[in-house]
Amino acid sequence: MRPIVLPGDLVATNPKVAGFGTYVENGKVYSKILGLLDKTETSVRIIPLKGRYIPSVGDVVIGIVREVSANGWNVDIYSPYQAFLPLSENPEFKPNKKPNEVLSIGDAIIAKVLNIDPKMKVTLTMKDKVCRSIRFGRIVFINPARVPRVIGKKGSMVKLLKSELGIQIIVGQNGLIWISGDRKKVSIGEEAIYVIEEEAHTDGLTDRITEFIKRRKSDVGIE
Amino acid sequence: MSESNEEKKDEIQLIFGDKRLDGRRFDELRNIKIEAGILKRADGSCYLEMGKNIVVAAVYGPREVHPRHLQNPSKAVIRYRYNMAPFSVEERKRPGPDRRSVEISKVSREALEAVIMKELFPRSGIDIFVEVLQADAGSRTACLNAASVALVDAGVPMKGMITSVAVAKADGVMVLDPMKEEDNYGEADIPFAFLIRGGKIESIALLQMDGRVTKDELREAFKLAKKGAMEIYKLQKEAIMKKYISESVENG
Amino acid sequence: MVEDILVDIKKDYVLSKLREGERIDGRKFDEFRKIEIQTNVISKAEGSALVKLGNTQVIVGIKMQIGEPFPDTPDKGIIITNAELVPLASPTFEPGPPDEFSIELARVVDRGIRESEAVDLNKLCIEEGEKVWLIFIDIHALDDDGNLLDASSLAAISALLMTTVPAERFEVGDNYPLPVRNLPVSVTSLVIGDKFLVDPSKDEVSVGNTFLTITTDQDDNIVAMQKSGSYLLKEDKFFEILDVSLSKAREIREYLKNI
Repeated sequence: MRPIVLPGDLVATNPKVAGFGTYVENGKVYSKILGLLDKTETSVRIIPLKGRYIPSVGDVVIGIVREVSANGWNVDIYSPYQAFLPLSENPEFKPNKKPNEVLSIGDAIIAKVLNIDPKMKVTLTMKDKVCRSIRFGRIVFINPARVPRVIGKKGSMVKLLKSELGIQIIVGQNGLIWISGDRKKVSIGEEAIYVIEEEAHTDGLTDRITEFIKRRKSDVGIE
Repeated sequence: MSESNEEKKDEIQLIFGDKRLDGRRFDELRNIKIEAGILKRADGSCYLEMGKNIVVAAVYGPREVHPRHLQNPSKAVIRYRYNMAPFSVEERKRPGPDRRSVEISKVSREALEAVIMKELFPRSGIDIFVEVLQADAGSRTACLNAASVALVDAGVPMKGMITSVAVAKADGVMVLDPMKEEDNYGEADIPFAFLIRGGKIESIALLQMDGRVTKDELREAFKLAKKGAMEIYKLQKEAIMKKYISESVENG
Repeated sequence: MVEDILVDIKKDYVLSKLREGERIDGRKFDEFRKIEIQTNVISKAEGSALVKLGNTQVIVGIKMQIGEPFPDTPDKGIIITNAELVPLASPTFEPGPPDEFSIELARVVDRGIRESEAVDLNKLCIEEGEKVWLIFIDIHALDDDGNLLDASSLAAISALLMTTVPAERFEVGDNYPLPVRNLPVSVTSLVIGDKFLVDPSKDEVSVGNTFLTITTDQDDNIVAMQKSGSYLLKEDKFFEILDVSLSKAREIREYLKNI
């Protein structure tokens, strides 16, 4: 069981082990956020329990187009920072089209964080096979701090959901998750995701999710 | 310390032997009740009672700052609003900020700014709203304690916890966490807030005073305030643990 | 407030000097700038004073009126303190209603005068429960070259010392001098890391708005304190600053006795 730590809790006395969620002052390592202490001989990190999504280069995110300009699209990615998708980073854009014929206000997209400048101006790209504009399926929102558990170790949890339910899932690091497939199965997937969010840091989660899906499938009457 | 009249009267007896008007010892806090994460829409929140004070704190952010010119390119902008509900006091308070609440908001914000790692979130804003639903003495300290818990609940990175308590001088004696009568008729009021880190009081984040005390009395006030702050810190911590304990429990 | 770029440039200079143990204007860490007090500069006011702290200039005017007492103090006069940081005093001051800086300034000055009981409010009752004297202390900044607060405190108490209660104008008896019985003095320090500088100039403040103001009375009681700005202060540092504030206040009080 991993103990809960608060900002200012002393978590190590060797600055070399300081990892995510910690800071060093006067040679001591303190937690800077509310989270679970993950401590080994060689590293100390805090697994956050709460907090807004802060973009990082390479993250897959799901966002909503808020503004269309001559150069591209302003996208809300549910973080303190609006993101910008330039025309040139959207493969669907062709010179004979107008930007709003490709994406207009309110459209949802899956994109990747291409760049963040020192002033936290976030640039997105859709030049990746995972990226697309979302025209069907469902988007659910969870606490961004719980995203790692929905993905699971090396993607194990997402794989489990996909194979057990035969649905498509793309998880945005910003807490937005896209699910697509048979309507009933999508609903079970959504419920399962909320269970994972709720019980994110408990042990034996994978087994319980497998159980949960089985039970819900028989409830709804699918094989 | 009402805005209209900060004059003090001294015709009420406040100290009876080694006890106070409400039966407390000199170094005893009022009853404190803290609950973390009580508001759904806010990123972090806290309900807190301290004596007859009832306050609710909410934290939003880090989030986008509007209008743009208020953004700071190198750090998050922290806003703090201490607000008294019209029904929180004996005589209805006119809604909106008065000079007293503007000053309290300023010094409280500064206390929290000193521990929030705002440089991690350039151009963003972190808003802290604290509503005083019922006011007794020391409402600014109750609000800071609630704000501190709400910030932790919101996942905002901080150097440590802020814990706040006042000390008053009543009938010539220094007393911890004054209630209304000690504040009104006492000879001095000294609100403190401390940074607590590594389980210890490390430095002063807020310090104000009005009244009349000697240097020795001030030393005694520090001693009492630090004792009280450690007790409040434990309650703040418990409240957060209580909300999140299920997260760490083995369950398989 | 808009950022004052000229002041910002000074920051590195101030800090490098500080590392050598010096202030940019050659003062000792616990040294005030030259203090000048001119009294009765406004004849229309009941009392007034212009204080110069180096280049910082503040004028305080006292006006008095007859009004109703507060219900809980029916036999006492009333003090009302206000500060206006008018745009002529600094490129960073903007016209408009008082912002948090001017409110804080007025309230800290007010606390020093009120809590030291500098004015004997009992002698300002005309008719118990009906009529008392209202004392308006209006602080007007003219030139903000740092530490407006101490300049304002000094100007306020100096002006009060010069004040005549205008009883004849209000037809309630003969004029008499305002009963002033204590001399509160505020000392503001700029706290920078583990160092502190009393009476900081505007250039010194470029390193940050991190102040501690301690107001003491003529018996060495502490009557008001305000930590202002986002910084953390160690307890032992606080008591060091307190000792310096007490001794500086004693020096400054001598000026007041001579006006």
